[in-house]
Amino acid sequence: MVIQLHQLTAAIYLIAALVASLGLALPAPRLGRISLFLLGAGVIVHGCGFGAMHVDGKTPALNELPVAVSFMAWIGTVFYLVLARRARLVSLVVLVAPMAFVSVFVAGLRLTDPAAVEAAAAPGGSWEHAHVLLAGSGLALLGVAGVAGMFYLLEHRRLKSKQRIGPRFRLPSLEALDRVNSVAVGIGFPLLSLGVVTGMFWVEKTHGRVWVGSPHELWSGIAWLVYAIVVALRFGRRQGARQAAASAVGGFVFLFFAVIGLEFFA
Amino acid sequence: MKIILVGLNHRSAPLEVRERLAVDDVAPLLQKLVASDEIDEAVLVSTCNRVEVVALTRSVEPARHRLRSFFRRDLDGGNPGDGSQLEDHLYEYTDAEAMRHVLRVSSALDSMVVGEPQILGQMKDAYRAAAECKASGPILNRLFQHAFTTAKRVRTETRVAERPVSVARVAVDLARQIFEDFSDKQALLIGAGEMIEAALSALRSAGIESVAVANRTPERAADLAVRFEATAHGLDELPHLVSEADVVLSCIGGNRPILTRDLIEAALRNRRHRPIFVIDIGVPRNAEPEVDTLDNVYLYDIDDLGAVSDQNAEQRRRETVLAEALVAEEQQRFDGWFTALRAVPTIKHLRTHVEKIRRTEVDKTLAKLEIGELEREQVESLTRSIVNKILHAPLSRLRREAEREEGMAYLETARALFGLDEEPEAPSASAAAVADDAESE
Repeated sequence: MVIQLHQLTAAIYLIAALVASLGLALPAPRLGRISLFLLGAGVIVHGCGFGAMHVDGKTPALNELPVAVSFMAWIGTVFYLVLARRARLVSLVVLVAPMAFVSVFVAGLRLTDPAAVEAAAAPGGSWEHAHVLLAGSGLALLGVAGVAGMFYLLEHRRLKSKQRIGPRFRLPSLEALDRVNSVAVGIGFPLLSLGVVTGMFWVEKTHGRVWVGSPHELWSGIAWLVYAIVVALRFGRRQGARQAAASAVGGFVFLFFAVIGLEFFA
Repeated sequence: MKIILVGLNHRSAPLEVRERLAVDDVAPLLQKLVASDEIDEAVLVSTCNRVEVVALTRSVEPARHRLRSFFRRDLDGGNPGDGSQLEDHLYEYTDAEAMRHVLRVSSALDSMVVGEPQILGQMKDAYRAAAECKASGPILNRLFQHAFTTAKRVRTETRVAERPVSVARVAVDLARQIFEDFSDKQALLIGAGEMIEAALSALRSAGIESVAVANRTPERAADLAVRFEATAHGLDELPHLVSEADVVLSCIGGNRPILTRDLIEAALRNRRHRPIFVIDIGVPRNAEPEVDTLDNVYLYDIDDLGAVSDQNAEQRRRETVLAEALVAEEQQRFDGWFTALRAVPTIKHLRTHVEKIRRTEVDKTLAKLEIGELEREQVESLTRSIVNKILHAPLSRLRREAEREEGMAYLETARALFGLDEEPEAPSASAAAVADDAESE
């Protein structure tokens, strides 16, 4: 069931990506909106896939990189769809849909046989479950903030260098990108913090103490502190939008390698 | 039937002539025009850049004279001259050229600024006015509906209207890449000349509600402020005004820049580094070039805006080629429908001829038979069905072939084969309705 849902999700995301690309090439704005609708359908099926894992009473092992990326892609896509209606972000579907497809496709390679699904679903109690979901969601949203920050820097550079607006692909306004950055950080950082707290409870329950000195614990703590500084600067109004965008990109890159990258290389 | 168009536009006539001929209430003029023998249907398009009459006629030559006299006497009646000067400004198109012209005008390919959005609305208004006073009929109705569809295709399938070309619109377009929502933004305009007025108008239409105008002579700023519901200020208030403004547009004389790096830097601090878009269209420049080195400040001078405008104009020119191809395709489609109307009299004649034969033979046979009402109806129905089935294929073929240039040979053959010795009548307005029916079958 999990495998089939994942494959179906990948297929829907792929169609959404192709439709969005076609809309950009023709150009036909209506295809962009159809692609957005398909992305929404993909998100529902994708969510059902993770739901199916939970129905089995298991926690999706987000420390498995492909599964983690797939989960973060899901959260990120949900967040994009929520914001796409409000801000002028529809044009970004041409980037979001392929990214969502690649993430799910990569995870799908890992989940091609039932044994892998079983292995990807790590046993554990409710603390681990909560830690994985909260930290994963927080990381996904901070990832969205990083992507928005990256686009902000690109558009800022284009405006500063007086380059013309691309005839086909127009990025959202700086204000819209800054708003996405702000909302994503505003929701993502508390989720990440809750993920860190629940992680501490999980370690305490497993090892009898909060601190066991693992690289994951150490780097997660450092990354959390780094991002806390980013958040303080952002909401303390000590930064302009351009600096906030750069901080979000830098903060996320550090966070990603400290939490996910470390697991991967280990 | 022929379509004829007579008119003048911004290329063929100067503004004073166009002003003289422009009309607000077209209904009485159109009614007068279609009441004449030469004109069967008419639509009058009157905008600040063109005055044109599209008409349907049975004979081009008399219609041409009638329309030219309409321009001289009815539209330019107040002019004391003999009208020969006006004649020099008039152009004229017939049939395929006239159709193409209507399609091009609706698609804004014949506009002063190619791709401008207003003309489509103006064409719709002209058509609506003609339809309301019953000056347009089935054929011009069809032509204008086709023109609106073509305009929509041009707008959606090409990028001919995508990028603005005026400096004020380019500035607003750039501001859209910085700000998402203009309703909560504030604009500061420095100066009170024509450029500032154009920019103010563009900013207002983009949705900026809060506008301040600052000028050396506050009286002139006040004058502008009253007209555009803005606030007027002197230049001494600049530090405070710049701190409040999200968009600063400056076009004021003077040898020294009034928007210095220090002033903008202080403003940025006051506004907690929220971005400022500075548009400097003054010559000499009103803003120090160093302003652009500040983070969260986007400075565009007249050359930067001019470069964007040129690129946009070039893009429009490239897209015009695509749009013209679309118009040619749609014109051929309409031309096919229009040409097919010539088959209608032959088809009607053929149907009448065959029906007459059926009627005669059925009456003859029924007179010899002793049968009831039900059986009679069945005989009627049977013969009608046979006739329809026999005629279906040749009539469909005639309609199809009539759309082509060589279709006339088919019509002549049909008349010879079926013994339709009389020359068919010319297509009429009702013929258009028959053609519509034929197409929908």
